[in-house]
Amino acid sequence: MKTVTEVLKEIRPEFDFAASKDFIADGMLDSFDVLTLVATLDKIFGISIQGVDIVPENFKNLETIGALLRKNGVQP
Amino acid sequence: MQPVDTVNQVFTAIQRVKTNATAFCTNFFPVPQKVQSWIDHGELFCEHGSEAAFFFRKDRDFWRIYFCATNIGELQRELVDLPDVKIKPVVMDLIEREAASDSLLPTMESIGFRFYTRLRRLARPGSPALQPLFSGGLQPVYAGNEDVQTVSAMLNVSFDHYAEQLPALYEIEAAISNRQILMIKHAQKLAGLLFFETQGLASAIRYWVVAEKFRTLRYGSALMRAYFAAHAAIQRFNLWVIADNQPAITRYQHYGYASDKLVDHVLVNEVSGA
Repeated sequence: MKTVTEVLKEIRPEFDFAASKDFIADGMLDSFDVLTLVATLDKIFGISIQGVDIVPENFKNLETIGALLRKNGVQP
Repeated sequence: MQPVDTVNQVFTAIQRVKTNATAFCTNFFPVPQKVQSWIDHGELFCEHGSEAAFFFRKDRDFWRIYFCATNIGELQRELVDLPDVKIKPVVMDLIEREAASDSLLPTMESIGFRFYTRLRRLARPGSPALQPLFSGGLQPVYAGNEDVQTVSAMLNVSFDHYAEQLPALYEIEAAISNRQILMIKHAQKLAGLLFFETQGLASAIRYWVVAEKFRTLRYGSALMRAYFAAHAAIQRFNLWVIADNQPAITRYQHYGYASDKLVDHVLVNEVSGA
């Protein structure tokens, strides 16, 4: 199964996600990328991330995305 | 159609739809700060159905519609019954991957929306900055508060109101205050401008234009080079361009931009008269 880092790299190969603490503020993910990421995570992990959770704070960095996955019962 | 008063209303409405979704579909990718700005300027309204939520944003003399629905069938059913779509000029953007097999375009066309034009996103990676080019001794400068009206006038005559998300005066004022508009003046007249938005390591050109009578003077190149020189640390550049505007695409390709396979289908309803 792909890791979150691998999924991010597929969406935006030009960025080093491990080096950022805030993907949104750093311009590495835009709102369309976030929706693409949500759809990909839903598919890969068999979950349905809630609309209320699709907010920038949950996609700031690898830790917050990991926390969101754990909330959905996935151990990233 | 009710005015939206808080950003939370928007996200709550989306959540309500998503909770019941079987195949959630949307053309709405809201950024809280932008939604707040629309609310502050009294531009955002909503209409809730049982299986869908619709948001209308006032833009000049027409409306932009955003939707989210539990599935395409419910979207179709509720959209066709919306009274405002029958009496107001409405424009819809559908952002999709190029040649997406699950495109919403046929669905929208089946309920009366008509294809108007298509935008294509172009992108390029960051790279060593081009050296600035000063054309005829004229150096691009950042627009000032005194330029709001002339910038607005140039954008309004040069770009498509329905397709290219033209900024309101308050957005131009904000862009000027954030130093997001480079311009060249020739004999005190605005000859060309490059309007951009930068966020962290990414920067997007929103508008790049040179007035027709100045197009042999390399002002466009001077603006572009000044833009890249000011963004040496940027890792990703992107922009949207009308898909059949080949002259513009060729110019962007010259600067290293290429399609990133994302398209925006712009649709209009019959009332728009477009």
